[in-house]
Amino acid sequence: MVGAGGIGCELLKTLALSGFQDIHIIDMDTIEVSNLNRQFLFRQSHVGLSKARVAREAVLKFRPQISITPYHANVKDPTFNVDFFKQFNVVLNGLDNLDARRHVNRICLAADVPLVESGTTGFLGQVTVHVKGKTECYECHPKPAPKTYPVCTITSTPSKFVHCIVWAKDLLFAKLFGDKNQENDLNVHSNDAGSSSNHTEDVFIRRNDEDIEQYGRRVYDHVFGYNIEVALSNEETWKNRNRPKPIYTRDVLDNEHTRQNGNMEKNCATNDQSSMSAMAALGMKNPQDIWSLMENSRIFLEALKLFFLKREKEIGNLTFDKDDQLAVEFVTTAANIRASSFGIPLHSLFEAKGIAGNIVHAVATTNAIIAGLIVIEAIKTPLLLEINTHQAKLRDFVDKIVKAKLGMTLPLIMHGAALLYEVGDDLDEDMIANYTANLEKVLSELPSPVTGGTMLTVEDLQQELSCNINIKHREEFDEEKEPDGMLLSGWMQAPCVEDANNSNDNAGSTSKALPLEVEKNKEIETSSGHKRRLSEVSKNGSPSNAEEARNHEKLQVLDDDDDLVIVEGGDLGTNKKKRER
Amino acid sequence: MAEPRTKYDRQLRIWGEQGQAALEKASICLLNCGPTGSETLKNLVLGGVGSITVIDGSKVELGDLGNNFMVDKSSVGQSKAKCVCAFLQELNDAVKAKFIEEYPEALIETNPSFFSQFTLVVATQLVEDSMVKLDRICREANVMLIFARSYGLTGLVRISVKEHTVVESKPDHFLDDLRLNNPWLELRRLAESTDLNVSDPVAHKHIPYVFILVKMADEWAKSHGGNLPSTREEKKEFKDLIKTRMIAMDEDNYKEAIDASFKVFAPQGISADLQQVINDSCAEVDSNSSDFWIMVAALKEFIAKEGGGEAPLEGSIPDMTSSTEHYVNLQNIYFGKADADFLAIEQRVRNILKKIGRDPNSISKAIIKSFCKNARKLKVCRYRLAEEEFNSPILSELQKYLTDEDYSIAVGFYILLRAVDRFAANYNSFPGQFNGAMDEDISRLKTTAVGLLSDLGCNGSTLTEDLINEMCRFGAAELHAVAAFIGGIASQEVIKLITRQFVPMPGTFIFNGIDHKSQLLLL
Repeated sequence: MVGAGGIGCELLKTLALSGFQDIHIIDMDTIEVSNLNRQFLFRQSHVGLSKARVAREAVLKFRPQISITPYHANVKDPTFNVDFFKQFNVVLNGLDNLDARRHVNRICLAADVPLVESGTTGFLGQVTVHVKGKTECYECHPKPAPKTYPVCTITSTPSKFVHCIVWAKDLLFAKLFGDKNQENDLNVHSNDAGSSSNHTEDVFIRRNDEDIEQYGRRVYDHVFGYNIEVALSNEETWKNRNRPKPIYTRDVLDNEHTRQNGNMEKNCATNDQSSMSAMAALGMKNPQDIWSLMENSRIFLEALKLFFLKREKEIGNLTFDKDDQLAVEFVTTAANIRASSFGIPLHSLFEAKGIAGNIVHAVATTNAIIAGLIVIEAIKTPLLLEINTHQAKLRDFVDKIVKAKLGMTLPLIMHGAALLYEVGDDLDEDMIANYTANLEKVLSELPSPVTGGTMLTVEDLQQELSCNINIKHREEFDEEKEPDGMLLSGWMQAPCVEDANNSNDNAGSTSKALPLEVEKNKEIETSSGHKRRLSEVSKNGSPSNAEEARNHEKLQVLDDDDDLVIVEGGDLGTNKKKRER
Repeated sequence: MAEPRTKYDRQLRIWGEQGQAALEKASICLLNCGPTGSETLKNLVLGGVGSITVIDGSKVELGDLGNNFMVDKSSVGQSKAKCVCAFLQELNDAVKAKFIEEYPEALIETNPSFFSQFTLVVATQLVEDSMVKLDRICREANVMLIFARSYGLTGLVRISVKEHTVVESKPDHFLDDLRLNNPWLELRRLAESTDLNVSDPVAHKHIPYVFILVKMADEWAKSHGGNLPSTREEKKEFKDLIKTRMIAMDEDNYKEAIDASFKVFAPQGISADLQQVINDSCAEVDSNSSDFWIMVAALKEFIAKEGGGEAPLEGSIPDMTSSTEHYVNLQNIYFGKADADFLAIEQRVRNILKKIGRDPNSISKAIIKSFCKNARKLKVCRYRLAEEEFNSPILSELQKYLTDEDYSIAVGFYILLRAVDRFAANYNSFPGQFNGAMDEDISRLKTTAVGLLSDLGCNGSTLTEDLINEMCRFGAAELHAVAAFIGGIASQEVIKLITRQFVPMPGTFIFNGIDHKSQLLLL
C-alpha cells in the first residue's frame, strides 16, 4: 500500500481493519498543523514528527497484533529499489506529485507488483489499478504538465498575479535564501542593459556589518525600484504596454516606518520556526485581508529581517515551502509589491499561499471514500503462486494449492483452453489416464507447459468457484519457512478476531466482522456462497478498473502529502498455522 | 491548541469562512456508532462541526474490534457510544462531544421530541420501520436527516429534508457569464472604441477575445439583417471570418475567439432550470417565506424588468490573452454592470420585505450579493418522506431500473436492503446471519423479495439468484472498507447540507461493491 498523509491515514486504518497483517509505510514528510483537518492519526502534539512513524504508533495502539514497518524517507531513495518492492504483494499509492507517482509506477512495473494508484482534490478523487500486462499502466495516458510561463513574462512583463508569485518565489526568494550556485534570472534586465553585472551580483549579499534594516531597504529599492527603471529604459518593450511604476521604500514608507519596522523583541519571543511571523509581529491578523502597498512593504521588510536575524543558518539552503509561514509572507508581499508596480490587482495572503504552494483542496470525506475503494481493490488483486516450474509436479500443485489452500474438492485446471486436469464421475478412461499421467509431470513439461508468466484457471464446478492464478518461477525455497516449496500470495485471511461469527444481540445494528474473502478451510468446504464471491472478485477486479481509469484519466489528483505505504497481503505464516490445525 | 485557520486551511479553500462557520454552529446527532456511523462522524469531527451526540445502546464486543477502529481491546464490555465518543473527542478538541447510552429505536419510540434540538441527524444501520418513524419526527421538527447503511458489499445513503435551497451550488462546469450573446450598451461601446485593425503586431495579439467577438458579432448582424449566426453553416462561416482577421499564426487571442465563438451563438435569456425556480409557487412570497424565496421573488421581477430577460451579471471574467490595460478595463466594466444589477435586486428585495411586513434590512448586503453572483446556478432540492417512497415509489422509474441492465444490480440491492428488514421482522435475524441455515434463508429471502416487489406493483419482476445468494452471504455484516466508503459519502452530504454549498444528491445512493459502481435511484 502507499501513503501516510491524507489518503494514507485512512488507508492504514482501513487495511488494518480489513485483515492485512504486514504493512510497510514510506513517507518523507513530517506532520504540519494543516494536516490535522483530515489526517486523523495525528494530533497537535505530533507536529514536526515523522508521519510514517506516528501513523504506525497510532494504529498499533489500537491493533497491536499487526506488523507495521515505517520508513521516514523519500520513496525515490535508492534503498527502495526493484528488489525492495519485489517483497510486496501489492503497492498502494497515496502520493501528492506526478514525479513520485511515475517513479513508483515504473518500479512496480519492473518488480511486477500490482499498483493501486489514487488521489483526491477537494470533493474529487480517483482510484486506478495497474497490473503489468493486464491493465494499462499509470503512464499510458499522458498527464497534464504543470503550467509554466515564459521567462520574459516572469522577469519583465507580468500581466497576471500568478506571474508575480512565480517571480517572488522562484526568483527573488531563491536568490536571497536559496542555493547561491543556482542559475537565477532575477537580474535579466540589468544584464541586458549592459550595466555592470558585478554591481548587481553584489546587491543581494549583505555587506559586513551592514545594518539589517538598511540591507532590507537596499534589496527592496533594487528589485522594486532600480530593476524596474532599468526595464523601463528599454522603450521597445513598453510601446504597447502599460509602463510599470518603480517603487522605492522612501515612497511607500513614512520616516517613522523607514526607521523602525516592527518590534521584534516584543512580538517575536518565540524561536519556533513554524509560528514565526512577520505579519503577527506587525499586528496583522487576518490572512484573508488584502493589504495595502505600505502594509505589504512593511511585512516584506520584516520578513526579510526575521530570516536574517532568526534563521540565518538556513539561508543558502531554503526552498519555498507552503507550510513555512515566514516564506509565505515574504512571497505574498513581494508579489503584491511587484503587482502594484505593474497595475495588477493585489491578493490576500490566503489566496497567494494557494497559488504559490499549488495548494490542493483537501478534506477528510473524500480521503475516506478513496481509501475505502483502494482497500477493496487491493483485496481484489489476483493470486500469485511462486513455484519451481522445473521441479514441482502438477500433483504438488493440486495437493498443496488447489486442495489444501483453495479448498477445492472436484477441481478442473486449465491453461488457456487446454485442460490439464479434471476430476469427475463422467470422465472416460482415456481422459482419466491422461490426467493421471499429467499429475506426475513437472509443470514445465506438461503438454501445455506451465512456466513463469503463465496464468492458470482453477475451477470447481460443484462449488461454483473459479479463480485465476499467476505463476511465477522461482528456483529456491527456504525449507523451514516454505516447506511446501511454493508460495501462494494474495490469499486473504479473515481478520484475527476471536470467533467473529458470534451473533450480535443488537440485530438492528449488526456489526459482525465478515470474513471478506475465504476463511478457514472448513468453511470453504461447507458454504459455497463464499466461493462465488471470490470468482467474481478475480474476474471483475482489474478489467472494470482499467475501464474506470480510462473514464477518469483527465483528472490529475493529489492530496498534499508525500508518502508511500506498502503492504504485504494476508500473513502467510498465520495462513499456514490455520491450515495445519 | 492549533490555530484553527491553519488547521482548516485546506478545507477553507473548498467551502470558505462562511461554510466553516456554518459547520462550527451545527449540532449533529448520530444514531448507532458501528463502523458506518463512527466513520461518518470522524470525518465531520475532523472538519470541525460544532457538537456531536453519539447514541448507541450496545456494549463493545470482540467482534467490533474487527471492523471499528474507534474501539480497542480495553473497551470490550463498555458502552460503545462512550468509547467512540472518547475517540472522536481526541480528534478535535474544538468539538463538543457527548454520548447517550441508549438504543436509537427506543429513543424514537419514547422520546421523539429529543431530536428537535439538532441541526442534523445521521441515522445509520436502522431498519425500515425505525427509518419511517424517525423520518416523520425529523420532518415535523424541521431537522435535516440522512440515512446511511452498510450491508456486506452494498450500502445506501439517502437524504430526507423537506426543502433544501442552494445559492452556492458550485457546479463543476459552468459557462462563464460574458453576455457575448447579448452584450449591454457599455460593453458594446468599449468594444467599439478598440481598433481591431491596429497595425502594431504586439498590440494586435493582445486584444482580448471579448472585444473581437463583440465587434465581429455586430459586424455580422449588420450584414445579416440584425441576426446572429444560427445555422451550422453560418456558425462555421463566422469562425472562418474571425480566422481571416489574424495577422500572424501565433495569435492566441484569435484562437481563443474562435474557440469561444459558441458563446455568441448561445440562446439569450435564462436557463430552463432557472425558469423552473422562478416559476415555483414558493416565489409568491408572504411573511412566512424564507430569505431564499424572497430573493427569488426579487430576481423574478428583475428578469422581467431591468434584466430584460437576463439574470444579473456575475461580474467576473475568465483568464484570457490580453494586455494588462485591456484586461483591467474589461474587469471594471463587468464589475460595474454586476454592481448595478446587484443594486437593482437589492432595492427589490428591500421593497418586498417591506411589503410582507418584515424589516427591509433583515437580509444583509453580502447575502444579496452572493445571491446575485450565483443567480444562474440556484438549486432547489426536495425529498419525499421515506414512507411515501417505500409505499409508493415512482412506479415507472422503478420498472425502468428493473429492466435496465445498467441499473439492475443497484435496484436489486435497493429491493433486497428492504427485503432483509422484512425478513428480520419475520424471522428475528438477518438472512445468512447464522451458520447452517443458508439454503433456507436464501429461499426465504427470495420469497420476501418477490412479495415486496409485488406489493410495490411490480408483479412478475424477479431478482437474479446470484444477487439473492450474495445478499444472504453478506449475513448483515458491516465491513470496514465499505463502511469507510459509505461513511465518507454520508459525511460529504452532511457537509453540503450544513454549509448550503454544492448540490446534495437527489435520490437514494446505492453502492455496489461487487462491480465498484455507485448509482442514484430517484424513486
